Amino acid sequence: MDTNGDSAASGKYITLVSRDGWEFVVLREATMISPTIKGMLRGQFAEAKTGRCTFPEISGVILEKVVEYFQFWYKNQDKEDVSDMDIPVELCLELLVAADYFGLDKQY
Amino acid sequence: MAEEPSLPTLPPPLPRTEGRKRGRGADGPPSGLSSNSSDPAIFSSDDDPALDNYVHGRRKKRYVGTWYDQHPVSSDSADSALGEDMGPRLPKLPKRKFRRQADSGVYLGLEGSTDTDDGFELEPCAAKLPLPPRNPQPVVRKTISPEEEKLRGIVQHCVEEGTEAVDLADLGVESISDESLEPLQSLTLIPTVTEDVAFEHKDPRIMVFLSNNRLTKFPLGLINIENLTVLSLRANRLQVLPPCIASLKNLRTLNVAQNFLRYLPSELLELMKKGSNLQDLQLHPNPYYQPKERSYCEWGTAEYEQETFGSALESEIEGDWEGITTKLRSRTPVQYLDTAQNLRSSFSFSAAQSNTPSPPKELDQEDFWELAVPRESGNIDRQDRQTPVRSRRGPPSLLESAIRAAMSVSELEELPELYNDRIPHHLSRVMDKAIDITKEGGQRCSVCRRETWSPLTEWIEFRELRRTHVKRSLGGGRIESTIHITGNDDEVWVPFVRKGCSWRCIPHKSPSPSREQRERLLMIP
Repeated sequence: MDTNGDSAASGKYITLVSRDGWEFVVLREATMISPTIKGMLRGQFAEAKTGRCTFPEISGVILEKVVEYFQFWYKNQDKEDVSDMDIPVELCLELLVAADYFGLDKQY
Repeated sequence: MAEEPSLPTLPPPLPRTEGRKRGRGADGPPSGLSSNSSDPAIFSSDDDPALDNYVHGRRKKRYVGTWYDQHPVSSDSADSALGEDMGPRLPKLPKRKFRRQADSGVYLGLEGSTDTDDGFELEPCAAKLPLPPRNPQPVVRKTISPEEEKLRGIVQHCVEEGTEAVDLADLGVESISDESLEPLQSLTLIPTVTEDVAFEHKDPRIMVFLSNNRLTKFPLGLINIENLTVLSLRANRLQVLPPCIASLKNLRTLNVAQNFLRYLPSELLELMKKGSNLQDLQLHPNPYYQPKERSYCEWGTAEYEQETFGSALESEIEGDWEGITTKLRSRTPVQYLDTAQNLRSSFSFSAAQSNTPSPPKELDQEDFWELAVPRESGNIDRQDRQTPVRSRRGPPSLLESAIRAAMSVSELEELPELYNDRIPHHLSRVMDKAIDITKEGGQRCSVCRRETWSPLTEWIEFRELRRTHVKRSLGGGRIESTIHITGNDDEVWVPFVRKGCSWRCIPHKSPSPSREQRERLLMIP
């Protein structure tokens, strides 16, 4: 966790903002599965200070699914034999790209 | 004669009942009984008070209109003739649409009609992708090469004649579509009709010879030929065999010599289980991967396989039996990939793939001591091991879930044109591979048997294949004789690739044996 002293930086939640302005407040710990967000929240970046990450490439619909995955992962990370999260087929290609962008490509 | 004799006056119009019910007198049977098109059977033993009404019968059908304006009452308009002809005075009712009443308990179809309730069920439709509006392109027909045309002719001829041996050799075909081989699925033998021979249905033993062609991919249409017993793919350009080859359970002879194979799918081992049909296997020459060094050890391999794959120890077969058996000899380290198929480990074997034949490559091997499982620790409960050995932790990665969702669409063929220009190159590579795997009938993790589209671990096992002949001797004992499949010493070990679906799905590693154990190991001949 960041220990900047700033309340926003070390808060329990962070805010993810999509291209079209949707804001998602997520548990900071849940987003740590993504190396991309982890990197953004480290160090002296603006995101690290404000706890607010903007993704100008990602639409709200997709970001919502990604956030859902963060929660899904957070909830199930210690369980065994977890099945897939439900993904609507029409989103799968965009989610594929988003998953690559967020670095969600590994199975631990 | 001033006036024409008037026609007899019309009877007063029938009292119209609500709706379009057949007109009946007020004294008709109670509506509860008549609402069904077929009345329930009533027996004389029934003490039904409505019985009288039933006997009463129906009022005779009446014609409507004047004698010169009578319409013949056709069978289907029997109901409506009444209303139609009295039309001028009554507002014409809109034609009733056939609509199933939700509350009509029993649906009685017309006699002889075939539609049943099943017809009303919605068929499950596969998920669809939102396809972009396509340019009005002329329908591109798959062109069939002249070689394949010739092949189709031969196949058709064989099916018509009932010939079991399908000789497709030396045609120079490069690929064979599924449709070309489809007729072979329905190949049946023409029974010999002679006197004193009872008619007998025999399953054909289809033999397909595809040697001396230019195939670069295994023709997947072969998989559906259930009665395939002999398959020769000798002298082609195959680089891999698909895992689904294991579904050819009736295969007796398989010839894949003189191809560009570097390894075989581990699923092929399923055809070599004791008691299976496969008897003849021609695997050499091929540029197989070879181990750097060879060290023999008979020790602990069965336990290793059990530990890793949870397979039961092979049971002894009763009676005479001849077939192929395998013994694990060595194993390479595990090659780790991420879902995007980027290499994540220093050891790799799939990196250098080329289309041209190259000399066999030598691969590193895992330390022998780690491969062998000490007998003492291999104290395995057989029943326990039927379940997956270990399960992976946490949910699948989002990328994997997305690929899985994409593979569930029905328009797999159209998928590539959807993503080709829209997603980064390394992702389209993953998708291409996933589509290939799906077309080949899916792939399962060697360790946990879960379906996977992007194997994350791969390793190669070197196995020795032997032809085993089990014979029961007179005294009741067993005589087991084995010979190597190939006499040449260099070719005794054959590489089989294993794939795992997560980084936890890797072969079992045993703790390094102690010094005494090692010494004891070396004592074993």
